[in-house]
Amino acid sequence: MGDIQMIIQAVGQVFTPLNLIMIFGGLVLGMIVGCIPGLSVTLGIILLLPLTYSFPSADTAIIALLAVYVGGMYGGSISAITLNTPGTNSAIATTFDGYPLAKQGKVKKALDTSLFASTFGGLMSALLLLICASFITKLVANFASVEYFSMAILGISLIAGVSGDSLPKGVLSGLLGIFIASIGMDAVTGVTRFSFGMSTLKFGIDMLPAMIALIALTQVVQKLRDFVISHGKLDDANQIDREGLTGKEMKSILPACTRSSVIASILGAMPGVGGGVAQFMCYNECRRASKHPEKFGKGSLEGIAAAEASNNAVVGSAMIPLLTLGIPGDGVTALLLGAFILHGIQPGPTMFTKQGVIAYSIILGCLVANVFLYPIGLLLTRAVAKIIQVRYTYLAPVIIMFCFAGAFAATGNTKELILVAAILVFSYVLVVLDISSTPLMLGMILADIMEMNFVTSMMSYDRDYLIFFKRPISCVILILTVILVISMLRINKKVEALNKAQLEEMQREHSEAGKPAEEPREKGTDWAGLEKLEEAEEKPIEKLSDKPKP
Amino acid sequence: MKKIKIKTNLWSGIVMGVLSIILLMLLPSQVRVPAYDSGAPSPRIIPGICLVGMLICAAALIIQSLVFKKEKIFEFDWAVEKPCILLILMLCVYTAMIIYLGFVIASVIIFPLMLVYSGERKPPIYIFTIAAGIGIFFLFKFVFHVSLPTLPFLGG
Repeated sequence: MGDIQMIIQAVGQVFTPLNLIMIFGGLVLGMIVGCIPGLSVTLGIILLLPLTYSFPSADTAIIALLAVYVGGMYGGSISAITLNTPGTNSAIATTFDGYPLAKQGKVKKALDTSLFASTFGGLMSALLLLICASFITKLVANFASVEYFSMAILGISLIAGVSGDSLPKGVLSGLLGIFIASIGMDAVTGVTRFSFGMSTLKFGIDMLPAMIALIALTQVVQKLRDFVISHGKLDDANQIDREGLTGKEMKSILPACTRSSVIASILGAMPGVGGGVAQFMCYNECRRASKHPEKFGKGSLEGIAAAEASNNAVVGSAMIPLLTLGIPGDGVTALLLGAFILHGIQPGPTMFTKQGVIAYSIILGCLVANVFLYPIGLLLTRAVAKIIQVRYTYLAPVIIMFCFAGAFAATGNTKELILVAAILVFSYVLVVLDISSTPLMLGMILADIMEMNFVTSMMSYDRDYLIFFKRPISCVILILTVILVISMLRINKKVEALNKAQLEEMQREHSEAGKPAEEPREKGTDWAGLEKLEEAEEKPIEKLSDKPKP
Repeated sequence: MKKIKIKTNLWSGIVMGVLSIILLMLLPSQVRVPAYDSGAPSPRIIPGICLVGMLICAAALIIQSLVFKKEKIFEFDWAVEKPCILLILMLCVYTAMIIYLGFVIASVIIFPLMLVYSGERKPPIYIFTIAAGIGIFFLFKFVFHVSLPTLPFLGG
């Protein structure tokens, strides 16, 4: 079946009433979790994931999860503008101009700019995904199990290399994840591995309880801890006025949106570079190219547009390596990879040949979610913004209950609950040791793919362990892995320094304009370690600081 | 209580190094070699590679800390960490209660306690939380067709 035929079939699958309802629900859920500082898109995805088991088809489930991702990226800007506190760390740059504009009484204008730019960036990257995906998969169509194994190594190495400032800790975490995933019965030989005679471990540790404990519950516990420490103090939000974005203003921010979307789409397609990094680069570039650079940091519409177009543009482009190569681009796409696997979809080159209609349904779903974001944002932003002021004690118990119920629902076995509790305790130990849990999670997700392809390769090539270096494409991938990890580490350090300098400069300008920009309060994400950028920021609660030994 | 400064590179190296050595020693007893050769590689190979890799990374971290003096400090402040540890403990108790008493009873007991600990004094929040516990149970039972754990006389 040709690509066009598959796209036509996918259109029919996407535009069903159920899918449209799921996109609507996913966008609203994403906006809510995105706008609450301390919660994140990942939490929204994990909350929805167990519920997607009851969905009639896998593509509906993935589309709903993608809608959460899209909505969450925009939602982060709501608290950035109204509270000067980014809901997600991809919205840090939005505070630079969003909050000063809000202080001038133009909250609606700032929110509308953010919404327009988010939609623009999201649409552009979704179109890029639609155009590139099939082309890239055709390039890698001849991959066999040897190459797939090398690709899995590439994926895990890149994330391990860039998800923290310590390579040994990242690699260690990734290996720990693969080791944890290997616990239980080996699918090929039937031998039980490291079960210690416990029935809980005999059938292995599932991904879902691990994701729930490592990401969702850690975020909630940390946010609740902040609530206890601050005695439930809430920030004062700006009131939303009624003066929205005019047509002329919309036209004026188009160049910034376009520039930002293009840069972020390229950056987002590179594994390991998330919205956190893209926003600063795009903001800098748009300021450099602007006719009014002096207005940046003082409520510039272009500034808001640059930041917001970038973080939503990353959504679609981060799906390119995921769908075409089976490599997650960042922490959120790593979760989505887990969701794909749980729903029996195997992303990668064969996806477009074996499950082509599903692949295009997902891409079109992403496109539709971005189209829907604009009207839904216009209608619901005011209501969603009020959720920021809801006391966290209303939300936390409900989220925790959903997490435990969702973990149980995955298999209907209480062992999942025991695993959730155990992994939660373990994740706290990882925090104290400053080991990021992102590579661990990715290791767990990629372990099955790695082992399956490793075993297939070994059986096909009579246990020739050097086959990964003998097959030219596999060898190139492995060499590329080493080169990319080294270069990404270098780039990472430079970008962190650049971002830090940019943030400090903006904070200086900000403090002159009014209330100083606050640190992103996404402590939950800190703990889960999903976004590497935040590690470059000061962490007032964890008090992690580089201190050379005297 | 005094703040404890934890050298994360050094301690990560020590903890993970010890863990990987113990697991490597347990590898032969915990992963038996199959009696018949199916042509597949040994089931020990993947966990073995991971554990050796972890040991190498642990050694690298210790060397980074002791030789190159590159360290990252985690300041363990009991006043800040106490709520976190207590909340995690509460969730562990919650897990046990779900298994033995069921989801609804566990939720009705643990979350009000958690709210009391959080300093919450507003009765509507307590009522909402209890109602949410019951509501989520029925949501999963009738909408998602998943029966969450509950006592036999409550339909479990």
